[in-house]
Order: sequence, then C-alpha cells, then structure tokens
Amino acid sequence: MTLILKNILAIYQRELQSYFASPLPYVIAAVFWLLGGFFLVAILLGPQGILAQAAMADQAVQMGMPPSPPFDVAYEFNKAYVGLLGSLSMFVLPMLSMGLYADERKQGTLELLATSPVTNWAVALGKLMAVVSFYIAMVLPLMVCQAVALDAATPPTGSGVFLLSHLGLVLMAASVLALGMFISSLTESTVLAAIMTFALILMLWLVDAIAQGLPGVLGQAIAHLSLLKHFTDFTEGIFDTGGLVLFLSFIVLGLYLTAQSIETLRFQRS
Amino acid sequence: MIEVEHLSKTYGSTTAIQDITFEARPGEILGFLGPNGAGKTTTMRILAGYLPASEGTARVAGYDVHSDSMAVRQRIGYLPESPPLYPEMTVQGFLTFVAKIKGVSSELRQRRADIAMDHCGLLDKRKVLIRKLSKGYRQRVGIAQAIIHDPPVIILDEPTVGLDPRQINEVRQLIKGLAGSHTIILSTHILPEVSMTCDRVTIINRGQVVATDTPDNLTTRLWGESAYELEIKGDVDTAQHLLNGLAAVRQVTLLGPEHLPQHHHRLRVSAEADRALGGAIATALVSAGLELHELRRQQATLEDVFLNLTTTETLTSTSTEPPIAEASIETQEA
Repeated sequence: MTLILKNILAIYQRELQSYFASPLPYVIAAVFWLLGGFFLVAILLGPQGILAQAAMADQAVQMGMPPSPPFDVAYEFNKAYVGLLGSLSMFVLPMLSMGLYADERKQGTLELLATSPVTNWAVALGKLMAVVSFYIAMVLPLMVCQAVALDAATPPTGSGVFLLSHLGLVLMAASVLALGMFISSLTESTVLAAIMTFALILMLWLVDAIAQGLPGVLGQAIAHLSLLKHFTDFTEGIFDTGGLVLFLSFIVLGLYLTAQSIETLRFQRS
Repeated sequence: MIEVEHLSKTYGSTTAIQDITFEARPGEILGFLGPNGAGKTTTMRILAGYLPASEGTARVAGYDVHSDSMAVRQRIGYLPESPPLYPEMTVQGFLTFVAKIKGVSSELRQRRADIAMDHCGLLDKRKVLIRKLSKGYRQRVGIAQAIIHDPPVIILDEPTVGLDPRQINEVRQLIKGLAGSHTIILSTHILPEVSMTCDRVTIINRGQVVATDTPDNLTTRLWGESAYELEIKGDVDTAQHLLNGLAAVRQVTLLGPEHLPQHHHRLRVSAEADRALGGAIATALVSAGLELHELRRQQATLEDVFLNLTTTETLTSTSTEPPIAEASIETQEA
C-alpha cells in the first residue's frame, strides 16, 4: 500500500516538474489569467455588469416602480464569474489533458512505465492529481482577485457560497480532465487528443442543452447526468450529494478507462 | 532464468514470431540475433511484459511474464528499442525517478543512481537536460535506467545503436561486466557484437528460431571443415603431393597467382573439422626445403553462419551440411 502511494507520488512529482520545464503550461496559464482578469472587471464594473444592473434596479425603485425581487450583488457576481470561469476552462482543459499520455506514447516512455512495477491505476491517478493541481494553481490567483472584490460587499457575504462554487469548478475540471486523459491515452498525437477532448466537451454542452429542452422525466434523467447542470448548482451555492457523486463517478470512470486502455491498447502494433 | 516456450505473436493477420523456444541460463549473456523485422523487438517486448503473447509462455526468474507481471517487472531492467527518456528532465533527475518507480528505497536511490551513471560514463552529464544530450549519451542514459535497480535479468534491445565505435566498445565492456551476477539478453543485428559479448546466440529469422548455440560451435558446426591458406616459394607439385599425404587433409587446391612474386604459389588446404594442421603443414613443407611465406587458418565467421541461416531456408539448426558457396561469396563482398 505504501509502495503504491510512493509510486503515485513519484508520478505526481515528475508530472508537476514537467509543467515547469515546458513553455506550453506557462502560455496556457497566462492566457487564462488574462481572460479571467478581463472578465472579472467586465462582469463587475462593465456597462452591463452586475454593479450597473444593481444601480438600475435602485433607480427604478426610486422612480416609483414596483420593487423587483431582491438582488444580492455579491451572490450574483460570484455565480456569474465562476460560471464564466467554467466556460473559459472548457477551452483550457483539453490543452492541459492532451499531452498526459500522448506525450508518453510519443517519447516511448509509456514502455518504461508499463514495464515498471507500477500499476496503470497509480500512473493514471498520479497524472490526474498533477494536472488537477496545476489547474487549481491556475484558478487560485483569480480566486484571490475575486475575494478582494467580494470583501468590499456590504453587507459582508459568507465564504460558503464562494468556496462551494469553486469546489464545483475544480470537480468539474477534474472530471473533464479525467476523460481527457483517457482520450489522450488513445493516441500518439497531442493535437488529436485536444480536438477529441474538445468534441467531448461540446457533447457535454449538448447533453445539457437537450436536458433543458426535453420535458418530463427524460429531460430530468439526462439533467441528472449533466456535468454542467451540477456545476451550475454548485455556483448557485446548492450543495447536492448527487452532484458530488456524479463528479466523482466521472473521475473514477476516466481513471478506469485510462488504466484499461493502457492495459489493452498498448498491444497494438506501434 | 529466462525460459521461452513455443512463443507466438500475431498482429491481425501478420505473424511476427512463430513458435519460438529458447532459454537464457543464470549469469549468461544471450545474444538474440536476426535481420531487421525478424521479430527481435516483439520477443523483447513480450519478455518485458509490454506485449502479451498470442500463444506460448515466457518465464523470467520463474515467474510467468503475463500472469505474474508485477513480479517479473520487479526483476527486469529493460532498454526498449528507442530509449524511454523524458527530454525535459536532467540525467540525474530522470534516473532518480526511474529508481523510485522501480521500487529502490529512498536511502539507496542516490547511490544506485551514482553507480549507474558511473557504469555508463554519465557522471559529468548528471545535471544536463536529456533534451540536450547527443544520441549516444541518450542511449547510455537508456542503459543506465535499465540497470539502476540492479535487476537480476536485463533485457537490452539493440543497446549499441547510435554509439560511436569507442562507446560501443565501452558498452560491450559494461555488458560483459554485468554478466555473472546478471542474466542478460540482448538483441542485435550486428554480428561482431554477438561474437564479442555473448556466451550463446539465438538466431531468429522471419519469426522463427533457426539456431541456438555458442558462437564458436555455430561457426564450426556450420562450416563443417577447417581450411588453411598458404603461400610458398618452390616447386608447387612437390608441395601439393606432400600436403595431400598428410592425415585428415581432404583437398589441396592451387589458387590463382595474382599479385604474387615469381615462383610463389598460393594453396588452399581443406581438412576435416576440428583438426589443427598448422604444425604438420609447416613441418612437412619446410623439411622438404620449400619456403613457407604465409600460413593462415581460415575460419567461418559468424557472418557466414548468419547469412547461411537467414538466406537459405533449407538449413535448419540441426543441419550439418557445409555451407553453400554463394553464402561465403556474399560475405566477402559485404
């Protein structure tokens, strides 16, 4: 058991190290931060931003209009911003997961890993943990910026919704990365892996859209399986065990498929 | 130590190897020789547990490579055809990582890495990124990762590819130095490598084993005779008569007089295998007053054997026929 943990840790460390050695992760993080910062300002202070909407609602009340439903600026801002980070991540995650196994295949190091006394599970888990850590490192600075903005809210908001929504963000990212890792394990080409992962994300969006469009039990059933719907729940501050279970199931599924694909698909002539 | 029985591997409709059987005894270096595409890499991969066999069994240190995969993985060091390296790591960082996943304890890791680097001549490159190393050094790092955990069985797939002659020699010395305490199987298509490093050779061609023996046995068995070439000065008829009179001599032929000074003649004496006739020939000629300018024993090289086995299909490992003349002509041209 301790040996397995050591192996996972070894894979995890090596994987994290490799992020510092390659320019790609820096570029991805820089673009993510640039866009994240831009949208932070736009959503909060822009002409259509949350503060402008709140001011308009106040004005309407002063002019004698019937008061609209209460409007919690901090809550709405958090929901909109984390939702946006979720959408932004969908473009970034395929680029993070694409090289996880495709590079190993290309370098031939998969042959080293597959002939070392390390289980495929341990390799997959170490890799997933590393890439999720990197994603968290990407989100953290934006969280700090957001916390600064939320700190100015009166009345002060609790940190519960804020943290929960980000937990949802990371869980969704981990699910997508786990599936992206599986796709990466199928091919030698990182580009192909990225495109396929993006196609998968589009399908997730499609599933969400179908769930919203379909009436009745069927729509509900699909909605239960939609990552995006559960993510939205988290951003709204709704903690649903079902959602947590779904995210974890997707992660385990991704790990399982990856381990299986390494076990069986390396047998192809390469 | 390594036992391979009736191993076959098919990819779809292509048969890579068919009914391969051989073994490597503890402490020996077994050469796995074959032309390109003969199935060497496939066999190596099966032994390392990277590929499953379609049929047959392979055991390493008593463990089946497929059903006891983990036990086998702990006991082998494996250098694949292309060395498995992470270009963004330093030599030392990479070797420490490999030591970790091979289960070397943290106290021993540094020492094992140092020993491996020392063996492979990498100590002055320890802080260099693998990306910046030349092909030869990368190959050495590949060998270092295969021996870092001091495994009892080492599988090397073409270990000297891409090295310069001096490095090739170093690697061969390294491999020889590992024998005894390690069982080594190495594949190659370079013949001198086998005769220089290996205790025994398995020759495969088109996915089938065509011969397994020591390099010496292979050459004598397949040559089937011993031969001498000599240059004399004097009466050639006397010489031929004398030589024909010697025991075990089968035939004496006069070779062309090209590039010879006057009165010099070149003769070829073929005799029964395993008979050392050098002394007898020299004594007979000199005591008859002939001048002996050159006496050379001709030996089949492994190359002859190899070409024989891999270009003519009629010959099998049990065959004792002398080689077909074409094969040796080809050798000389090559």
